[in-house]
Order: sequence, then C-alpha cells, then structure tokens
Amino acid sequence: MSEVVRLQLICLSVVGCGILILLFIKSVFPRVIGFVAIVLGIFMLTALAVPQMASLPPVEEKFDIATVKTPTDMAAIGQKIFFSKGQCALCHTIGPSESARCPDLKGIGAKLSREFLYESLTQPQAYIYKDYRHEGVPKEYPAQMPAINKNPIGLSRNEILSVIAFLQQMSGEPISIKPSELEVPGSPAAPGKAAQSSPIAVAQAH
Amino acid sequence: MRYQCEWIQRLLRIGSEYGGMLLGLVIAAGLFGLPALVFGADVAPAAPTEYRDVPYVGSRNVIWVVAQLHLLLAGFVLGVPMFAWVCEVVAWRGGEKRYDKLAKEFTKLLTSAYATTALFGGILLFLLISFYPKLMNYLTDIFFPSFILYCILFLAETAVLYLYWYGWDAMQGGGKKTFHIFLGFMLNFFAFFIMIVPNSWATFQASPVVIAEGTDMARAWAATWNPTWWPVNIHRIIANVVLGGYICGAYAGIRYLSAKTPEERDHYDWMGYVGNFIGVFGLLSLPFAGYWLMREIYQYNQQMGITLMGGFLSWLFILQAMLIGVLFLGSNYYFWLGITYRIPGSALKYRKPMLAMLVVLLLCLAVWMTPHSLVASLEEAAKMGGTHHPLLGVLGVMSAKMTVSNLMILVTFMSFIMYWRAGKQDTAGWARIAKAIMGAVLVLAGIGVIILGVWGYFVPAIIRINYFSTSQVLIVIGVMLTITPLTALLLKSAKTTTEMVWGKMPPRAGYSLVLNAIMVILLMTLMGYARSSSRVHWHVYGVVRDTSQYAFSPALGYASGIMSLCTFLFCMLVAFIFWVATMSDKAKATTEQKKVELPHGMPAMAGASSALDKPNAH
Repeated sequence: MSEVVRLQLICLSVVGCGILILLFIKSVFPRVIGFVAIVLGIFMLTALAVPQMASLPPVEEKFDIATVKTPTDMAAIGQKIFFSKGQCALCHTIGPSESARCPDLKGIGAKLSREFLYESLTQPQAYIYKDYRHEGVPKEYPAQMPAINKNPIGLSRNEILSVIAFLQQMSGEPISIKPSELEVPGSPAAPGKAAQSSPIAVAQAH
Repeated sequence: MRYQCEWIQRLLRIGSEYGGMLLGLVIAAGLFGLPALVFGADVAPAAPTEYRDVPYVGSRNVIWVVAQLHLLLAGFVLGVPMFAWVCEVVAWRGGEKRYDKLAKEFTKLLTSAYATTALFGGILLFLLISFYPKLMNYLTDIFFPSFILYCILFLAETAVLYLYWYGWDAMQGGGKKTFHIFLGFMLNFFAFFIMIVPNSWATFQASPVVIAEGTDMARAWAATWNPTWWPVNIHRIIANVVLGGYICGAYAGIRYLSAKTPEERDHYDWMGYVGNFIGVFGLLSLPFAGYWLMREIYQYNQQMGITLMGGFLSWLFILQAMLIGVLFLGSNYYFWLGITYRIPGSALKYRKPMLAMLVVLLLCLAVWMTPHSLVASLEEAAKMGGTHHPLLGVLGVMSAKMTVSNLMILVTFMSFIMYWRAGKQDTAGWARIAKAIMGAVLVLAGIGVIILGVWGYFVPAIIRINYFSTSQVLIVIGVMLTITPLTALLLKSAKTTTEMVWGKMPPRAGYSLVLNAIMVILLMTLMGYARSSSRVHWHVYGVVRDTSQYAFSPALGYASGIMSLCTFLFCMLVAFIFWVATMSDKAKATTEQKKVELPHGMPAMAGASSALDKPNAH
C-alpha cells in the first residue's frame, strides 16, 4: 500500500467519524468537532488528489575527473547539471515555448563564444540586453539572471564548463572544451570555489 | 456537573496561588529533560553539533507543529486587541454599550491567550536551540540587538495588558475612559512592534541581507530591513484582523447553536454578525497585500518567485484558490442568510441578485482553480500539443486569475452593501442620482476589470504585472472608496421599513461561521508551508544551507496532514481558552440566579461591576 493510499484511508476515516458524530450525537460541541473533522478530511483528500511533488535538495553530481575522457562525457554531466543543480530549466527552455520566461537557449552554443557564455553565467550583468525580446522599451522590472557561481546555485568552475559543453553540443557545435581544462580537486590550481576565482583566466585559456 | 466545575475552579485557584512554583517546576523539569535529546543527537564529539533529532516523529515535524501553533496563537493574540479596541471606541463614541461588552468579553480572553502564546513561544525557542544549534547561533549573532528590543517590548505589552484588562471597570467614566482608550491604543502599538520584530527574523531567512562590516546594530538593522519585511508585516497585520474577526464569528456561532434563552440567541447572533463583518472587511484588502508580497519576492529573487508560482509549489496555489473561494462563498452565504432571516420580507426582493451573485462567485472560483498545466500521460500531452489544455490552459494563467479574484472581491463588497441597505428606504432627494452613480460605477468597474484581464493576454508579462494588474486593484479599491461613503450618506437619512430581528438565524448560519474560521486557519497554515518551502534546501536562502536529513519539502498530501493537525490543535486550544475565560461568568450567573431566588438579598461583593454582563444590558 503506497503512502498516498494510506493517507487517503486515514482521511476517509476522519470524514466518516465526523459524519457519525453529526448523525448520532446531539450535543453542540461534539457536533462542531464532527463538522470540523469533515472539513479537514475533505481538505486533506483534495490535497492528496493533486500531483504529489516533493522538493528534494539538488543531487551533487560526482565530478570524478578520472571518468571524464572525452568532451562528450563533459556534455553528459553538463546536461544533468542543466536540469538539476544548475536550475537552468526553471527559467530557460530549449526550443520555443509558450511558458518561456527567459531567453530560449536553442542554438545558443552556436551563436555565442564560450568566453561570452562563461561571462554571461558568472557576471550576468556585465553585458546583457535587459529586454531579451529586443523589442519596445527596456524592462523596468528585468528578469535578472543570477550569477550561478554564487549561492544559492553555486556551481563550481568544472560544472560551469560542463554546462557550456552541453550547450555547445545541443547546438550542433563541436565542443571546444577539453577534459584537460578541468581542475583536479586538491591541486594547487584548484581553489575551493573555483568558478568564483578567475573567469578571465578561463576566457584566456584558449 | 456543578461539582465538577467547582473542582476545576479549585484546581485553577490552586494553580493561580502556586502558579510561580508550578512554573518553576515545569521549567526545571524541562531543563532536566533536555539532556534526553542527546539520545537523538548525532554522535560527533569532535565537531560542534549541527542538528539533533527526535526518533520516530522527526525534529522538523515537532518544530513545524509548535511553530505553527505559536504563530496562529500570536495572530489571535494580536488580532483580538485590534478588534476589541475598535469595538470599545465605537461604544465610546456611539454610546452603544453592547460594543463595550463585546470588547470586554474578548479582552478577557487575552490574559489566558497571551500566556498560552508566550508558553508556545518559549517551547519553540527551547526546541530550536536544541534541534538547530548551528542555525540559531548564526541568527543570534546577527539579531542579538533585536532580541533585547523584543524582551523590552514584551515587558511593556504585558504591563499595558494588565492595566487594560484589570482597569476596565475602574476606568469607565469621563477622563478615565479616555485614558483606558489610550491604554488600548498602546496595547496595539506594542503588539504591532512585537509582531514586526520576529517578522524580521523570519523574512531574513527568505530574503537575507548580510553585511560583513559595521557594528552589531548596523548588521542587525541591515538584516531587519530586508526586501520582504514590510510586505510580510502588512500582510500579517491584515491577516490577524481577519483571523480575529472570523474566530470571534466562530465563537459566536457555537454559542448561538447552544444558546438556551432568547437573550443569548440575540446576543450571539449579533456577535456573529460583527465577527463576520470584521473578517470580510480585512479579507477584501488581503489579496492586495498578498499581491504586493509576491511582487517583492519576484523582484528579490526571480527563482524563488518561480519556485512558488510555477515550480513544485504551483499546485499549492490551486488549493489556496479553493480555500479562499470557500471563504468568499461562506462569507457571502452568511450575509444572504442575514438578509433572509433577520430582515423579514427581504428574501423575495433580493432572491434574484443573490442567485446572480452565487453564479458569478462559482464561475470565478472555477476559473481561479483551473491549473495552468495538467498532469497528463505522454500520449495525452501529445494529443493536447503540450501539458496545457487548449481551452482550460487559457483560464489557468495569471491574467484570468487576477481578473476573477478582483470580481469576487467586488461581488462580496456588493453583498455587504446589499445587506446594509436591506430594510431601509431612501428619503434623500438626491437618492436616485446617487443610486444611478453607484450602479454606473459598479458596472463600469466590472467591465474595466474584465477588459484589462482579456487585454492582459496580448501584452508582455511585464506590462500586465506593472500596469494592468495594478489598475485592476486600483479600480476595485476605487469602487469601495466611492460606494461606501455614498451609501453611508444615503442611509443617514433613510427610513427603516423593517427592523432587524436578531436570534432568528437557522443553525446552518452558526456552522457557516465555523467553516469560515477553519478556512482562514487552514489558509494560514498552507501559506506558512509555502513561505518555508520557497527557501528550498536553505535555512537562510543562499547563505546557510540545510544539511540535515530534512532538507526537503514534503509533498502537499503529507503537508496537508500536518496543516490539518495544526488547525485542529489550534481550534482545541482556542476552545479551551474560551471555556476557561467564560467559566467565572457561568459561576457568577448561577450565583446571581440563586440570589434572585432567595427571599432576602445577599450582600454584594466588592470589586468589578457586573452591570454590563447582564444579557439585556444592550
């Protein structure tokens, strides 16, 4: 028996008790309690009838450098990050959509260089159209892209590079990021929060 | 039964005489019991403990229930003084003693309700320190100055409350009454600050402002003045008025159902009317405050806004729509019952408008509850061309929902105006013009709200949010500000054709008042879950991460169980408070009855006057 079914049975029992109280007890206060039980039971049944989605903390992608052999491996990790920890899909779509809140990222890897992508992700206000639709007056209430190397998202440099690799791959572009560019944890060149350290250095790396 | 009451009263007397010693024992037991929590703690002697747990139940669930009960009690304790003070002022200015009696009846609850709220606050603090030491350490470091301020405010509030309640009978005449009114104002003044100080702690967790440099005061002030602090302050103060009003209504409803004499039925019918009126008065403005809060959340952090409205919490807002819809229907239904039963002859006259209003409310509710995207299988989604239904998807968007919520507010406002005008005949010469203006304003406002709603589909979201939705809100406020004074002026010279008859409402009126109170309490628990879940896996959003095993938000079904439990426990607590507070009245009534039965009068006891407590005092 699933948890939802078990909860539904509990709710039905609560509603049933309420109905029995109203049917057989004449004192006012118990009757009011019976009435409240029916209302609360119906509320719980309704809440159980909608999709049951829990919000889990993002899964930390294990970034085992040793397993990343090719740029395609990086893109595969980047894809996972795009839809989970990176929360990119919360606002962006890949392909046009009615519910798009922010720029459509289809083909973005072909339109923009990796340096520009890196800067857009880590310094989103450095160079950005405030109105991404490029029409009318600029927005007074812009949909501001957060710096994803900082909290609450806080992607590491390796994770950002993987996301860029994914964006390039899904745009049909050759992936320009090599696995050798990834920082090995614990090495002198790898600071704790690598992405915050030196975007310019990354941009200059190729 | 009488012996049972005497036994309980003796117990309560002992409690009050030895209250200090008992409290000391309870605190000592609590302190000795705290080490028991160690059994649930992670065994990590080297590093400081970050979390402790309660086996089987879970620390998060315990905190959830205690915090929610504390918040509901606090809302009640802060809402009731506002309600009582307004009633007292009405009695003072208008000379209607029954309002003074009502105010006193509710202030009497405050002393016991205040102690219960403080008790739950103390339990919550102990539990937070025990279960979340790392987080509490962080928050204490930032908010230390406001903790001191909070203690001072509590002392001031307690002193004023004692003066206000115990001085009620002694300060009835002339200048003393003015001073008593001033005390009531000060009670609300301190209560307001007692509310907004902890609000800063809670809102900081959702929208933190952290500065690394500066004095303790500067850091605390920056953290306090965070982006969602004032929207939450305003939203909560209105919600407290609504809660206070509807709880008063529910209490009156239950007392009405169990009333034995016609006087009691009259009194509690009238009290239910006042409670419902105050609840509706606050309810009409509450959606505007909620809209402002959501706007500020989007402005602070778009992701948080999307998590709330478009992410995993989006279905929560369908439940919210259902609860608000039932609340609107319940409030209107009570008005319509009032027109039908309290004003003889009006039922026939207003049947058609009431039916029309019911249809509009149900249609609006149906639109408000329409989900934006549907749960569909891949095949169904392919047939529909996505997860949005080709027809219903159009109704599930914000433009439609904003429109119907404004229409529901307009309908409820008109229900109230209809009730106000029922049984009266205009005598003013300009009455026809005034009525034509009011009719035109209402029709134009309705059309305007709908036009803006439809137009909202064809403009970018930013134009809709900034201009169209705001204009809809302004139109509805404009209607209220135009029609209310015009109606008041008209009724000033109107002739009463049918006197209002109290105590004739059917039992279902009492149950509808109880239903309204339950809806408000459930709404508060639901939105508490929403606010907490919007931080996702952060204690302090983006700053202090939740690394405990409870760093997730449960699904709505499970959460609704906790919400219902909190609602039920809160109702039981309030019922207990009411029962304890009215126990002495019942004893006094029995004594007075005995006195009447005796051939010779008994000497009167010195102390509080009971003149106002007589059922026919009004």
